[in-house]
Amino acid sequence: MAALQAYRHLMRAARVAFEGDARVLDGARQSIRQGFRDKASLPASDPSIQSSIQHAEEVASFLKANLVQGKREGSKYKLRIHEMTERGDNDSIKLGNQNIKVDGVKCCSER
Amino acid sequence: MFRTAILRSAAAASRTAMRPSAAAGRFAIAPASRTGSFVPKTVAWQAVRCYASGSSLEKTEVYERIKQLLSGFDKVNDPSNITESAHFANDLGLDSLDTVEVVMAIEEEFSIEIPDKDADTIHSVEKAVEYIVSQPDAN
Repeated sequence: MAALQAYRHLMRAARVAFEGDARVLDGARQSIRQGFRDKASLPASDPSIQSSIQHAEEVASFLKANLVQGKREGSKYKLRIHEMTERGDNDSIKLGNQNIKVDGVKCCSER
Repeated sequence: MFRTAILRSAAAASRTAMRPSAAAGRFAIAPASRTGSFVPKTVAWQAVRCYASGSSLEKTEVYERIKQLLSGFDKVNDPSNITESAHFANDLGLDSLDTVEVVMAIEEEFSIEIPDKDADTIHSVEKAVEYIVSQPDAN
Protein backbone atom coordinates (compact mmCIF):
# COMPACT_ATOMS: atom_id res chain seq x y z
CA MET A 1 0.00 0.00 0.00
CA ALA A 2 2.83 2.34 0.89
CA ALA A 3 4.35 1.62 -2.50
CA LEU A 4 1.14 2.55 -4.28
CA GLN A 5 1.02 5.81 -2.39
CA ALA A 6 4.61 6.53 -3.25
CA TYR A 7 3.76 5.78 -6.88
CA ARG A 8 0.88 8.21 -6.76
CA HIS A 9 2.94 10.90 -5.07
CA LEU A 10 5.67 10.51 -7.62
CA MET A 11 3.28 10.68 -10.54
CA ARG A 12 1.66 13.78 -9.06
CA ALA A 13 5.04 15.38 -8.47
CA ALA A 14 6.02 14.74 -12.08
CA ARG A 15 2.79 16.34 -13.20
CA VAL A 16 3.54 19.44 -11.12
CA ALA A 17 7.21 19.64 -12.07
CA PHE A 18 6.90 19.08 -15.81
CA GLU A 19 3.59 20.77 -16.48
CA GLY A 20 3.17 21.84 -20.08
CA ASP A 21 6.24 19.92 -21.22
CA ALA A 22 4.68 16.83 -22.74
CA ARG A 23 7.91 15.22 -23.88
CA VAL A 24 9.68 15.38 -20.53
CA LEU A 25 6.51 14.55 -18.61
CA ASP A 26 6.05 11.47 -20.72
CA GLY A 27 9.64 10.44 -20.20
CA ALA A 28 9.36 10.96 -16.45
CA ARG A 29 6.20 8.86 -16.31
CA GLN A 30 7.84 6.15 -18.33
CA SER A 31 10.83 5.98 -16.04
CA ILE A 32 8.69 6.06 -12.87
CA ARG A 33 6.64 3.22 -14.30
CA GLN A 34 9.76 1.30 -15.20
CA GLY A 35 11.29 1.80 -11.77
CA PHE A 36 8.23 0.47 -10.03
CA ARG A 37 7.72 -2.42 -12.47
CA ASP A 38 11.30 -3.55 -11.93
CA LYS A 39 10.69 -3.95 -8.23
CA ALA A 40 7.09 -5.13 -8.45
CA SER A 41 7.99 -8.79 -8.18
CA LEU A 42 10.13 -8.50 -5.06
CA PRO A 43 8.84 -10.57 -2.14
CA ALA A 44 7.11 -8.54 0.58
CA SER A 45 9.84 -9.43 3.07
CA ASP A 46 12.66 -7.98 0.98
CA PRO A 47 14.63 -5.48 3.08
CA SER A 48 15.31 -3.18 0.11
CA ILE A 49 11.62 -2.35 -0.27
CA GLN A 50 11.46 0.16 2.56
CA SER A 51 14.47 2.08 1.33
CA SER A 52 13.16 2.04 -2.25
CA ILE A 53 9.85 3.47 -1.14
CA GLN A 54 11.63 6.13 0.85
CA HIS A 55 13.76 6.92 -2.17
CA ALA A 56 10.61 7.32 -4.27
CA GLU A 57 9.04 9.65 -1.71
CA GLU A 58 12.16 11.76 -1.57
CA VAL A 59 12.36 12.04 -5.33
CA ALA A 60 8.72 13.10 -5.31
CA SER A 61 9.32 15.89 -2.82
CA PHE A 62 12.45 16.96 -4.69
CA LEU A 63 10.59 17.18 -7.98
CA LYS A 64 7.88 19.25 -6.37
CA ALA A 65 10.01 21.60 -4.30
CA ASN A 66 13.42 21.90 -5.90
CA LEU A 67 12.89 21.77 -9.60
CA VAL A 68 11.89 24.78 -11.66
CA GLN A 69 11.13 24.90 -15.34
CA GLY A 70 12.79 27.59 -17.39
CA LYS A 71 11.83 28.85 -20.78
CA ARG A 72 14.18 30.89 -22.91
CA GLU A 73 12.86 34.25 -23.94
CA GLY A 74 15.40 36.13 -25.98
CA SER A 75 18.57 36.17 -23.90
CA LYS A 76 16.84 35.44 -20.62
CA TYR A 77 15.26 32.42 -19.08
CA LYS A 78 11.82 32.81 -17.64
CA LEU A 79 11.33 30.54 -14.64
CA ARG A 80 8.04 29.00 -13.68
CA ILE A 81 8.15 29.13 -9.89
CA HIS A 82 4.98 27.58 -8.58
CA GLU A 83 3.38 27.45 -5.15
CA MET A 84 5.18 24.27 -4.15
CA THR A 85 8.66 25.49 -5.03
CA GLU A 86 10.81 25.70 -1.93
CA ARG A 87 11.79 29.22 -0.99
CA GLY A 88 14.86 29.62 1.13
CA ASP A 89 14.27 31.88 4.08
CA ASN A 90 17.79 33.35 3.84
CA ASP A 91 18.16 33.27 7.59
CA SER A 92 21.93 33.61 7.56
CA ILE A 93 21.77 37.07 6.01
CA LYS A 94 20.20 38.41 9.20
CA LEU A 95 23.35 37.59 11.13
CA GLY A 96 25.03 40.67 9.69
CA ASN A 97 28.78 40.96 10.01
CA GLN A 98 29.33 38.09 12.36
CA ASN A 99 31.88 35.56 11.36
CA ILE A 100 30.13 32.45 10.25
CA LYS A 101 32.07 29.25 10.31
CA VAL A 102 31.19 26.70 7.72
CA ASP A 103 32.60 23.25 8.37
CA GLY A 104 35.11 24.70 10.81
CA VAL A 105 36.56 27.27 8.40
CA LYS A 106 35.58 30.87 7.95
CA CYS A 107 33.31 31.86 5.13
CA CYS A 108 34.80 32.54 1.73
CA SER A 109 35.73 36.25 1.76
CA GLU A 110 37.10 36.22 5.29
CA ARG A 111 39.90 33.78 4.81
CA MET B 1 -47.34 10.41 -21.76
CA PHE B 2 -47.91 11.59 -18.23
CA ARG B 3 -45.19 14.16 -18.64
CA THR B 4 -46.67 15.60 -21.81
CA ALA B 5 -50.08 15.82 -20.17
CA ILE B 6 -48.65 17.76 -17.24
CA LEU B 7 -46.65 19.90 -19.59
CA ARG B 8 -49.69 20.75 -21.64
CA SER B 9 -51.89 21.64 -18.68
CA ALA B 10 -49.14 23.66 -17.05
CA ALA B 11 -48.47 25.54 -20.24
CA ALA B 12 -52.14 26.24 -20.70
CA ALA B 13 -52.46 27.56 -17.18
CA SER B 14 -49.45 29.81 -17.11
CA ARG B 15 -49.19 30.73 -20.81
CA THR B 16 -45.44 30.64 -20.54
CA ALA B 17 -43.98 29.59 -23.84
CA MET B 18 -40.50 28.29 -22.90
CA ARG B 19 -40.63 25.60 -20.28
CA PRO B 20 -37.92 22.94 -20.31
CA SER B 21 -39.51 19.52 -20.32
CA ALA B 22 -37.02 18.17 -17.80
CA ALA B 23 -38.09 20.73 -15.24
CA ALA B 24 -41.72 19.96 -15.89
CA GLY B 25 -40.98 16.27 -15.53
CA ARG B 26 -39.35 16.75 -12.17
CA PHE B 27 -42.36 18.70 -11.09
CA ALA B 28 -44.75 16.01 -12.17
CA ILE B 29 -45.83 15.37 -8.56
CA ALA B 30 -48.00 18.46 -8.59
CA PRO B 31 -51.52 17.46 -9.56
CA ALA B 32 -52.86 19.12 -12.67
CA SER B 33 -55.96 20.40 -10.89
CA ARG B 34 -53.89 22.70 -8.68
CA THR B 35 -51.95 24.38 -11.45
CA GLY B 36 -54.14 27.47 -11.52
CA SER B 37 -53.18 28.75 -8.11
CA PHE B 38 -49.77 27.19 -8.18
CA VAL B 39 -48.26 28.96 -11.16
CA PRO B 40 -46.33 31.82 -9.53
CA LYS B 41 -44.70 29.41 -7.10
CA THR B 42 -43.65 27.16 -9.95
CA VAL B 43 -41.95 29.99 -11.74
CA ALA B 44 -40.00 31.06 -8.66
CA TRP B 45 -38.96 27.51 -7.93
CA GLN B 46 -37.80 27.04 -11.49
CA ALA B 47 -35.60 30.10 -11.34
CA VAL B 48 -33.84 28.68 -8.30
CA ARG B 49 -33.31 25.35 -9.98
CA CYS B 50 -31.81 26.86 -13.10
CA TYR B 51 -29.37 28.80 -10.99
CA ALA B 52 -28.09 25.70 -9.27
CA SER B 53 -28.17 23.22 -12.11
CA GLY B 54 -25.21 24.64 -14.01
CA SER B 55 -22.33 22.70 -12.47
CA SER B 56 -23.49 19.25 -11.50
CA LEU B 57 -22.61 16.34 -13.76
CA GLU B 58 -24.99 13.67 -14.94
CA LYS B 59 -24.14 10.09 -14.14
CA THR B 60 -24.35 8.96 -17.75
CA GLU B 61 -22.07 11.74 -18.92
CA VAL B 62 -19.50 10.88 -16.27
CA TYR B 63 -19.65 7.24 -17.31
CA GLU B 64 -19.24 8.09 -20.98
CA ARG B 65 -16.15 10.18 -20.26
CA ILE B 66 -14.58 7.51 -18.07
CA LYS B 67 -15.33 4.92 -20.73
CA GLN B 68 -13.69 7.10 -23.35
CA LEU B 69 -10.65 7.51 -21.12
CA LEU B 70 -10.37 3.79 -20.40
CA SER B 71 -10.68 2.80 -24.03
CA GLY B 72 -7.66 4.97 -24.75
CA PHE B 73 -5.64 3.20 -22.08
CA ASP B 74 -3.55 0.50 -23.72
CA LYS B 75 -3.36 -1.76 -20.66
CA VAL B 76 -7.10 -2.49 -20.73
CA ASN B 77 -7.41 -6.07 -21.98
CA ASP B 78 -10.46 -5.56 -24.19
CA PRO B 79 -12.37 -2.29 -24.70
CA SER B 80 -15.62 -4.25 -24.91
CA ASN B 81 -15.14 -5.23 -21.26
CA ILE B 82 -15.67 -1.63 -20.16
CA THR B 83 -19.11 -1.57 -18.59
CA GLU B 84 -20.72 0.45 -15.85
CA SER B 85 -19.93 -2.19 -13.25
CA ALA B 86 -16.49 -3.26 -14.51
CA HIS B 87 -13.84 -3.82 -11.87
CA PHE B 88 -10.41 -2.47 -12.82
CA ALA B 89 -8.48 -5.56 -11.72
CA ASN B 90 -10.99 -8.38 -12.20
CA ASP B 91 -12.66 -7.31 -15.44
CA LEU B 92 -10.21 -5.05 -17.19
CA GLY B 93 -7.01 -6.87 -16.28
CA LEU B 94 -5.30 -3.87 -14.70
CA ASP B 95 -2.84 -4.29 -11.83
CA SER B 96 -2.61 -2.01 -8.81
CA LEU B 97 -0.12 0.38 -10.46
CA ASP B 98 -2.38 0.70 -13.50
CA THR B 99 -5.31 1.41 -11.21
CA VAL B 100 -3.39 4.30 -9.66
CA GLU B 101 -2.75 5.66 -13.13
CA VAL B 102 -6.38 5.33 -14.14
CA VAL B 103 -7.49 7.20 -11.02
CA MET B 104 -4.98 9.94 -11.81
CA ALA B 105 -6.20 10.15 -15.38
CA ILE B 106 -9.74 10.50 -14.03
CA GLU B 107 -8.52 13.33 -11.81
CA GLU B 108 -7.13 15.11 -14.83
CA GLU B 109 -10.23 14.51 -16.92
CA PHE B 110 -12.55 16.07 -14.35
CA SER B 111 -10.00 18.61 -13.07
CA ILE B 112 -10.18 17.62 -9.43
CA GLU B 113 -7.71 16.21 -6.96
CA ILE B 114 -8.74 13.02 -5.23
CA PRO B 115 -7.16 12.66 -1.78
CA ASP B 116 -5.16 9.48 -1.10
CA LYS B 117 -7.66 7.86 1.18
CA ASP B 118 -10.46 8.24 -1.35
CA ALA B 119 -8.29 7.27 -4.28
CA ASP B 120 -7.42 4.00 -2.57
CA THR B 121 -11.07 3.01 -2.46
CA ILE B 122 -11.76 3.49 -6.17
CA HIS B 123 -11.40 0.06 -7.74
CA SER B 124 -14.19 -0.03 -10.29
CA VAL B 125 -15.90 2.11 -12.90
CA GLU B 126 -18.99 2.21 -10.70
CA LYS B 127 -17.07 3.59 -7.71
CA ALA B 128 -15.36 6.17 -9.88
CA VAL B 129 -18.64 7.41 -11.35
CA GLU B 130 -20.16 7.55 -7.88
CA TYR B 131 -17.25 9.56 -6.54
CA ILE B 132 -17.21 12.05 -9.42
CA VAL B 133 -20.95 12.64 -9.21
CA SER B 134 -20.59 13.37 -5.49
CA GLN B 135 -17.92 16.00 -6.15
CA PRO B 136 -19.40 19.46 -6.73
CA ASP B 137 -16.13 20.75 -8.20
CA ALA B 138 -15.87 18.14 -10.93
CA ASN B 139 -16.43 19.39 -14.43
